[in-house]
Amino acid sequence: MNKKIVFLILVILSSALLTSCFDSKEIDEKAYIIALGLDKGKNNYLNMTLQLALPNKITSGEGESTSTTTVETPTLYAGLNMINTYISKEVDFTHCKVVVFSKELAQEGIHDYIHAMIRGREFRGSMFVAVSTGTAEEFIENATPILEMNPAKSYEMNFRSYEYTGFTGDTTLTNFYMLAECSCRQAFATLVGVNPYEDSDEFDPKNSTFREKGHDRPLEGDFYAGKIPKVYGTKSEVMGIAAFDGGRMVGEFDGQEALFHQMLYGTYQSSYISIPDPKNPDAFVILNVNQGRKPTHHVEMINDAPINSAKVQLEADILSIQSGFNYENTDNIQILENAAEEHIKKGMLRFLNKTRPMHADLCGFGRDLKMKYLLWEEWEKVHWLKKYAESKFNVDVEVKIRRPGLMVRSAPAKGSEGDVMK
Amino acid sequence: MKNFLENLLLFKEPKQTEKFILKENKQDTEKDSEKASNKNPSQKSNKSKEKDGDTFLDKILGSNQGDDEQEPGAEKKEEKISKKLSTNLKYMKKVYSIPKNGDIVLRAFDIVVKDKTIPAFILFYDGMTDREVINNYILTPLMLLSNLDIKGNERKIIDYIKNHILPQSQLNETSEYTSVIDEINFGGCGIFIDGIDVAFAADVKGWEHRNVERPNSEQVLRGPQEGFTEILRVNTALVRKILKDEKLIVEDVIIGKRSKTPCSMLYLRDITNESLVEEMRRRLESIKIDYLIDSGELEQLLEESSLSVVPQLMATERPDMVAAHIADGKIGVIVHGSPFVLLAPVTLVDLLQSPEDAYMRLPYAHLLRFVRFLGIFFSLLLPGLYIAITSFHQEMIPTDLVFSIEASREVVPFPSVVELLLMEVMFELIREAGIRIPGPIGPTLGIIGALILGQAAVEASIVSPILIIIVAITGIGSFAVPNYSLGLSFRVLRFGYIFLGAMAGFLGITLGLFIQGILFVNSKSFGVPVTIPTGPKTATSFSNNRLIRLPLWKQERRADYLNTQDDTKQPKISRKWTEDNKKRKGDGDEE
Repeated sequence: MNKKIVFLILVILSSALLTSCFDSKEIDEKAYIIALGLDKGKNNYLNMTLQLALPNKITSGEGESTSTTTVETPTLYAGLNMINTYISKEVDFTHCKVVVFSKELAQEGIHDYIHAMIRGREFRGSMFVAVSTGTAEEFIENATPILEMNPAKSYEMNFRSYEYTGFTGDTTLTNFYMLAECSCRQAFATLVGVNPYEDSDEFDPKNSTFREKGHDRPLEGDFYAGKIPKVYGTKSEVMGIAAFDGGRMVGEFDGQEALFHQMLYGTYQSSYISIPDPKNPDAFVILNVNQGRKPTHHVEMINDAPINSAKVQLEADILSIQSGFNYENTDNIQILENAAEEHIKKGMLRFLNKTRPMHADLCGFGRDLKMKYLLWEEWEKVHWLKKYAESKFNVDVEVKIRRPGLMVRSAPAKGSEGDVMK
Repeated sequence: MKNFLENLLLFKEPKQTEKFILKENKQDTEKDSEKASNKNPSQKSNKSKEKDGDTFLDKILGSNQGDDEQEPGAEKKEEKISKKLSTNLKYMKKVYSIPKNGDIVLRAFDIVVKDKTIPAFILFYDGMTDREVINNYILTPLMLLSNLDIKGNERKIIDYIKNHILPQSQLNETSEYTSVIDEINFGGCGIFIDGIDVAFAADVKGWEHRNVERPNSEQVLRGPQEGFTEILRVNTALVRKILKDEKLIVEDVIIGKRSKTPCSMLYLRDITNESLVEEMRRRLESIKIDYLIDSGELEQLLEESSLSVVPQLMATERPDMVAAHIADGKIGVIVHGSPFVLLAPVTLVDLLQSPEDAYMRLPYAHLLRFVRFLGIFFSLLLPGLYIAITSFHQEMIPTDLVFSIEASREVVPFPSVVELLLMEVMFELIREAGIRIPGPIGPTLGIIGALILGQAAVEASIVSPILIIIVAITGIGSFAVPNYSLGLSFRVLRFGYIFLGAMAGFLGITLGLFIQGILFVNSKSFGVPVTIPTGPKTATSFSNNRLIRLPLWKQERRADYLNTQDDTKQPKISRKWTEDNKKRKGDGDEE
């Protein structure tokens, strides 16, 4: 009996000791990647750029906190192997915060890379997927944190800014993959770019999209990433989204369109929106708009062409009335609400019509239609993503202004020449 | 070889052994017990008399006689006391090795009655007896006594001395040497008088002892502040002071051939399951040991499994805890000379409870309880989890923390397991040395511990600062375990988790938890699985033994697993005034 126990203990001990901790790695035996950039290579399929965190610099706060390296390689994991030869520590993706594809590569199709990442256990699902208007290498090279000591945090915060600006979207890897594989919706990625301006004199209105939208002057969202008129600070920019169809990038949308997309998609939280003053075309009313309820979608097939309707309910607080007109008055508030509804509706319809030729059902109308089919085979016969190009859109926007801010009543400034109103 | 492997791997039914199981008893128990008492009425009644009487001298007599009959070498002791004083004197001198023995006092004197002089002597241990009592209440009456009217009959003299002369509450007359000797050995005074064949043993215990003080290891802010001491009778009194019930039985047992340590078994006659009492009595009486000094030794002699991860008896310094548990149907065992009283059976939940849980208002009690559980979780798992996460699951750590750990570990020469073990061993060392360190040097150790092991180790890059935090939290957490014994058990298990975490990450930790779970479920304390009421699921309407405590007025039943004779603790409505309130309100409505 005793022999038996000793034998068992020996077996257990030796199996534990012989295998021991064979795949354990100390934290300081690894090099943590915080951003991965993929460009089209000159001679090979890929130009792979890795941004490595330098923990010693990050904690001490002195010097550059990152180090970037680029290698030309046929595939993602081949590149990793190559990089591991000249980086002293083992490269680890578990803390990678963003993967950036160049526009060129994205247009060719990135789904195989997304697959590789989803399959590999090192890539985390909360990593952001982005498309650079220039090269990915350029973006990563220029993404220097200003406020943070930790570059990883900088990426995280920056890509999460859609929660309070609305100008991008929730483009985490899991989300991207889920949408890309879906038969009723299309994926989108954050649009990033590098700012070209050195001096504020160089600002060029041609870089804005305001003209094609029929705005008098560029509104806050009328820019793509890399085109924002700004100087100093970090060069990297995050604004707008890129639409995908079948893993290939098919179009890009500026900040304002991304905001409307979020409103229609249901991820919108809150942001400031400038509305042209209904009483005075030269002035703006600034509203802090929140989502009142989640948007509802409704799709009807008429003559084999879909009619997509969406209902968007928003709530708003007044932040500024430049004209000084007393919109806060219960009689006048309707005017402002109508103007806001009109402004948002116009923008939304424009955005939706822009997605149509791209076959990019970014807002998920297909989900509503899918629910009407009992059998998967029937739904597959619809070929929704193809059919989307024949869509017609109806948008019902409802804006309720709840609070006037801390000022209850606008009054014009008193001057020597009487009341001053814009 | 094949046979060997087959033997090893195939399941073979273990030998059926009859172990003690605390069985259900509803109405049947009372009948059973009646039957049992009818079977051997003489023994039963005898015993119960002794138990009720609390006179543990009787018990000494009884049990020792029993022992001696079995031991062939002790024939001499059975000798009867002689009528001749000189014989007695000679015998006692031989027994006590007088004059070799320094602290035994033999005082010979004469009792003068009218014109007759009767020689006599007393025998007692110096230091164990109260000298004043001997002088004033034994020697004075005997020596100065002048009106002794002897009327021929021996018996009468004995009665007269006993009834009129010696003003002692506990005075025993005996005709055997053994009982007098036992009494003298335990701080009594033996009185021998010429011409009568009995001796008297007076209880004049008066040794130096510690007063009732605050409990050292189980302090509370709210609740009684008294702790047990080393004196058996003081301890029983402390319990009796709380449970003023004649049904509280203090049953005495003597353990130890040399030490003859008196132990008491406390239980409520009409509550505690009789088979449980019987089992405890059986175990206590069957113990044959040379000496018994502390209840810690008795605990080891009583427990079923010596290697179990859970203590099977609870040791406590607090009379209120003992009283509460006895009132709930458990048994307490007090060992003379130990301020720790044993309680059985115990469950894991009992061991995780502090007496304060009951004294505090419900919300605070729960806050404290959950903080305690958190501390216990830390003390058991934190180092293991740290190792598992840092060596296998780095993705779980927030990115900022990864970078700061990496930066701080950059200059550390050891793998983190070694680092952690180093610190844990250091911490255990400080703890162990801290208990033994002489009082005045105590603070120095704190400084050494904090400075050398904390700051200096980090500055010398022997360990990373984050690890100091881990070890510190673990250390603090381990002090949150209310039961010292269980705390020690977790301290040992922690090292297991460190190894498992280092070897296989979360897989190892999970494996460890699984094994620990099996060990817990497999442990029994006096026939009660320690994981009750969750292990085997039992009725949970009883209150105090759950993770979440019910309000006091809802604790209506005693613990289900104890199978008490009466499992109702209090009526359904224990706050009668709430009823009165309703009534009053009803009356008001009618008006």
